Amino acid sequence: MAIGGVLAYRALFNWTRPAIFVGTLLVGPLFQLLFFAYLGRQLQVADDRFYVVGNAVLAATLAGVFGGTLAVGNERRYGTLGHVLLSPRSRTAVFLGRALPYAGNGVLIAVVTMTVGATLLGLRFPVGAIPGLLLAMAVGSLACAFFGLTLGALGLRFRDVWVVSNVAVALLLLLTGVNVPSTALPGWMVKIGEFLPITHAASAARDLAAGHGLAAAAPALGREALVGLGYAILAAVLLKVFETESRRTASLETL
Amino acid sequence: MRTLRMLALGTLAHVKQMSRSSFEVTIALVVPIVQATLAVYLFRAGHERHALLQAAVGAGLMGVWSSVLFGSGGAIQNQRWQGTLEMIMLVPRRPVLVILPITVATGLTGTYALLATLAWGRLLYGIRLDFVHPVGFVVAAVVCIVALGMFGLLLASTFVLMRNANALTNTLEYPIWLVSGMLVPITVLPAWTGPIAAVLPTTWGARALREATTGGPVWPSVTVCLGISLLCLAVGSISLTYVERRARAAATLALA
Amino acid sequence: MGSDYAIEAEGLRRTYRGRTGWLRPRRTEVEAVRGVSFTVGRGELFGLLGPNGAGKTTTIKMLNTLLLPTSGSARVCGHDVVRQTREVRRRIGYVFGGDRGLYDRLSALDNLRYFAELYGVAPREQKRRIAELLELVGLAGRERERVEGYSRGMRQRLHIARGLLHSPEVLFLDEPSIGVDPVAARELRRTVGDLAAAGTTVLLTTHYMAEADELCDRIAVIADGRIQSLGTPAELRHHADGRRVVEVEAYGVPEAAVGALRGLPGVRETAIEERGALQLLTVQSDAHVDVQGDILRELAGIRLGRVTSREPTLEDAYVAIVNAARPPEESREAIVNAA
Repeated sequence: MAIGGVLAYRALFNWTRPAIFVGTLLVGPLFQLLFFAYLGRQLQVADDRFYVVGNAVLAATLAGVFGGTLAVGNERRYGTLGHVLLSPRSRTAVFLGRALPYAGNGVLIAVVTMTVGATLLGLRFPVGAIPGLLLAMAVGSLACAFFGLTLGALGLRFRDVWVVSNVAVALLLLLTGVNVPSTALPGWMVKIGEFLPITHAASAARDLAAGHGLAAAAPALGREALVGLGYAILAAVLLKVFETESRRTASLETL
Repeated sequence: MRTLRMLALGTLAHVKQMSRSSFEVTIALVVPIVQATLAVYLFRAGHERHALLQAAVGAGLMGVWSSVLFGSGGAIQNQRWQGTLEMIMLVPRRPVLVILPITVATGLTGTYALLATLAWGRLLYGIRLDFVHPVGFVVAAVVCIVALGMFGLLLASTFVLMRNANALTNTLEYPIWLVSGMLVPITVLPAWTGPIAAVLPTTWGARALREATTGGPVWPSVTVCLGISLLCLAVGSISLTYVERRARAAATLALA
Repeated sequence: MGSDYAIEAEGLRRTYRGRTGWLRPRRTEVEAVRGVSFTVGRGELFGLLGPNGAGKTTTIKMLNTLLLPTSGSARVCGHDVVRQTREVRRRIGYVFGGDRGLYDRLSALDNLRYFAELYGVAPREQKRRIAELLELVGLAGRERERVEGYSRGMRQRLHIARGLLHSPEVLFLDEPSIGVDPVAARELRRTVGDLAAAGTTVLLTTHYMAEADELCDRIAVIADGRIQSLGTPAELRHHADGRRVVEVEAYGVPEAAVGALRGLPGVRETAIEERGALQLLTVQSDAHVDVQGDILRELAGIRLGRVTSREPTLEDAYVAIVNAARPPEESREAIVNAA
């Protein structure tokens, strides 16, 4: 169940093509949502709302994780990493700026996935919950994009960035409690999940979709934002460290 | 005999080439653990605690399908990138004999996912590997893998021509898992998916494996699975011949 | 077999159709080869020589069945390349330059075994044939290493061994010496020469003059999708008959000065070659006009090195042929608007 998008990494270089974009980022997550929703019905694990909301928020990970990785990976692939790292502008700002479009992309995917998924499964959300849901998706997507940047930075160190990002996507599927309710997961997995993006955004979104109001969802949203901030800082630090290191060892291009 | 030898040695060469990629190796180490874990906890959360072995088998088969799906599409794209697609299409053989070893190889590397998922299930979650029909299970697994390889050939024949087959690949993973009831037969699916499921070799392969695991008439499912796959092979073979000619006309064999 | 020729090409043409842009897709048509005809005798070593983009690779791919001609026809060993594909494929080997086209994570031996199977080399002959070829290309002893660790020259030699597995009657070599160091290139030329001497027909494309001159029985100079000239190296040299060549080493020659040189009376061709900081300026003129004085006058104020005057070589003839073919305006790409 985790491999979805594993080889998508090969398609990523063609993301600018509409068919690839639609295929990978819109249709893929939709089928993933349907898969888990029907599985949930069959096994009586949780109801449709649980799966629709959770998987819609999770859909943002593809854009965020692969996008963030790509932001760093592409620079290297096209040999522009040196130029970016040596440009007089703040390197950190350059890279963080690159995460934003992917976060935006993530929100778009999450919205489409949720709308279409809910329509197909005949699920209705309270109208008042929509602004809150959008907020949850935005926070989740941003956290994902920063998480992706962190992975991209790690990719600078571990030759193949795509291994890192694909493994990460697999783990997110399992540990965020989106598809297996966290009550059913062992405690240590839940603990790890709390430090991953999406976990809190998904639980906030579920509260909102159930009509509990923004106040009830606020603590979870806050935690998600905190996780995102954590990864933003981590990404910046890692980039700084690896940059200094690569300058010292002159391994910028051969990394 | 000579052709069989060629197919076997060709498959072996491609298994070697595929299984030595560090990307594939890392993914192969991690993914089965995640798959097994996900399946086990989902089943435990539901009311299917007794069916954990079935969950592990299903999750493993899902891995085989992923390998065939991405492998058959990705391998051909890879051949193109490595510049080997031209070299293998240039040999004096029918295209099907050249491509089939590649797609069967993707099924074979997928076997690893099946075995690893079962192993992790045993190791981490103490799932007892007591199959109702052990021999039936082995036969069904072998048939399933070869069958998926043949099905992969049908996919491959479309992928040779399309430079952006990835779009299709990325969307085909979950639907096949879902519709063919790999993890668990899904009775709550809309009725119109029934006929689709009935013509997919994956449905019958999954069924055969399940019957061998938990009891049931294994052989009819195995036979149907093999029959549909041979049909895929025949159609794929014809379409490959056509596709090869189109590719020579459209100049899509060389680097995309 | 019936045919006297190993390769016969008649009026081969090839047009590539493509699309660019996805917001406003446009259909593009490029005529890569526009009517190429020639024959290659059995056992001949035939060269296709031309600048990049002249249509050499497209021509070779039509002959070796990888591309269908848009029009025209071709036969290899008497078999039609479009209709009798498998007959043709049995008899040909194809080797291209560069380091692609091999299974990187397999050893050289595994690569050769795999292709020996695909080509249907009899199992009991395989071992001997592979050993023989490894010896021929100088890879014996390293055949168990993975190809990913090979140098470019080694990959190139493995390519050749692979192309020869089934003892083809006709060998197509597409720019085999690209990116190969000079020593390896010389080895390569010797191998190719030996093959031809042993009776294999070789069609070689290259843009290295010396390679073509040294190896080929006959050369077709191809430019702009057409054969501009065809003959033995000695015959081609005649294109520069009645000319004289002045070579000037210079530093920082402006475009304008080169243009002015071209306008001098008696000057036929000019070419400029960058050699690091140095530029080598070659000026061909009619032999009876002494242009050296004029040239130096035009280049006044520019730092110059050695100035020499010499007889034309095959390379000068080649430059003359290719320049004559160049259309006044580069208008090879016709763009047709489409919805």
